[in-house]
Amino acid sequence: MSAIEVDRLSHVYSGAEGGVPALQDISLSVEPGKFVVIVGPSGCGKTSLLMMLAGLRHQSSGTILCDGRPITAPDPSRVGVVFQEASLFPWLTSLDNTEFPLALRGTPRAERRRRAEEMLNLVGLKGFGARYPHELSGGMKQRVSIARGLVQDPPVLLMDEPFAALDEQTRMTMGHELLRIWSKTRKTVVFITHSLTEAVYLADEVLVMSPRPGRIIDRITIDLPRPRTYEMMATDTFGKLRERIWQQIRKPE
Amino acid sequence: MRLPSPATVRWGLLVLLLVLWEGLPQTGLVPELFLPSLSKTLVALWAQREEYFDALLVTLSEVGIAMLIACGAGILTGALVGGIVTLRKLMLPVFSSLYAVPIVILYPIFTAWFGIGSESKIAFAGIYGFFPVMLSTAAGIRTIDPQYILAARSMGATLPQQIARVIIPASIPTVLTGLRLGGALTIIGVVVSEMLTSSAGIGYLVSRYRTILDSAHVFAAILMILLLSILFDLLARAVERRTLVWQTAGRQSRPGAAGSSPAVPAPAPV
Repeated sequence: MSAIEVDRLSHVYSGAEGGVPALQDISLSVEPGKFVVIVGPSGCGKTSLLMMLAGLRHQSSGTILCDGRPITAPDPSRVGVVFQEASLFPWLTSLDNTEFPLALRGTPRAERRRRAEEMLNLVGLKGFGARYPHELSGGMKQRVSIARGLVQDPPVLLMDEPFAALDEQTRMTMGHELLRIWSKTRKTVVFITHSLTEAVYLADEVLVMSPRPGRIIDRITIDLPRPRTYEMMATDTFGKLRERIWQQIRKPE
Repeated sequence: MRLPSPATVRWGLLVLLLVLWEGLPQTGLVPELFLPSLSKTLVALWAQREEYFDALLVTLSEVGIAMLIACGAGILTGALVGGIVTLRKLMLPVFSSLYAVPIVILYPIFTAWFGIGSESKIAFAGIYGFFPVMLSTAAGIRTIDPQYILAARSMGATLPQQIARVIIPASIPTVLTGLRLGGALTIIGVVVSEMLTSSAGIGYLVSRYRTILDSAHVFAAILMILLLSILFDLLARAVERRTLVWQTAGRQSRPGAAGSSPAVPAPAPV
């Protein structure tokens, strides 16, 4: 069974003159444990798609199944979300932020602590639990966000341009870190990005979306070996894959 | 030469001011009627210490009750107006305009309704302090970064959980700013109304001694009001500092986010 199964999903934003079509006839299926990256031009609706996968927004038509059951509302036990901006709560420490989803479900305090500390260790922030978000760098904040997304151990992790606000070097490091965390946890990841290099570097499969109304216009299997290394970026295969995506995106519609 | 720190300069200026207050009237450059010297003021204060103490108690109790009303009603109304869209569209322009009205014109009516005792002062000062509290609470709730709510929802937060765990903590900085402003206005409201029509309180002492041209006693009362306001401000700052470990730094790193407080209108002139 697929971890995520999207069937003929379309979305129309209500507005003047019958509304604006945002997403059109999107079908996709992600196998458990796969790393799928969605790329597309700005405004193609990729964030909307992710919001729908997270149950935060409702599609006009079509179905989304996660673990065989439809997604109609946020379900943190099945889907964890990491947002673009550090959406950590500034009034909570890293540890309290990481615990937050568990606190919402009323998990006992000791258990919460233990899980959150485990997650902070996993993302490489051992000993930073008492820090507030403003005391952390951009990369560290996103590490906490990842820890928070993973703390309920959902099979699926959705990531909406999580590293977009970071500088180039931190972004590379974080991509590498994410792969390390992913290889340890074997989550199914759906990752949205603008960066083609990031897409090829991270993904098992890249889905390319068209400008609005967003459709999936290409599916590219990235057959680079794992673990990925920075050196791979300089190879011909990497360049060709990147070029193929670029050609799809720049294609005039 | 190393420049003295701003704090040193501030204390220096204060000392200078006190020295001038003591020295100028003694040189005869300023008539005693305009400015009695510091020592004379303090002597006058000490001589009538019981009267001043009783007046202070009256003023303090009025300020206390008025602040409770202003903060309680202000936070409640602000939360409703800021949180419920229809209510906001309907009411916020009204409240914003009312804030610009010099509410002191209502005071004569209040004395007719509530008499010249403490009730009319409390009513007037309570309404006077209500507006900044209400407006900043509404602003605080309205300007919460929607990303926080979205993140909470993605983690499965119910509406009551969103309110208790996200909306309230996120709006605390702006609400506190409003409380500080509102509290200061309450003090002003009480003192002004005591000066206008009353039979007790520090403001009453100011206007009573002024009519008999007893400058030393007028200044003694002014000094007490000054101390009262400064004390309140120090207290409010201390509370803000304790509550907002995360806020000051957040303000620098993320301008425009929920950490920074949106501008609350400056207090309207009395």
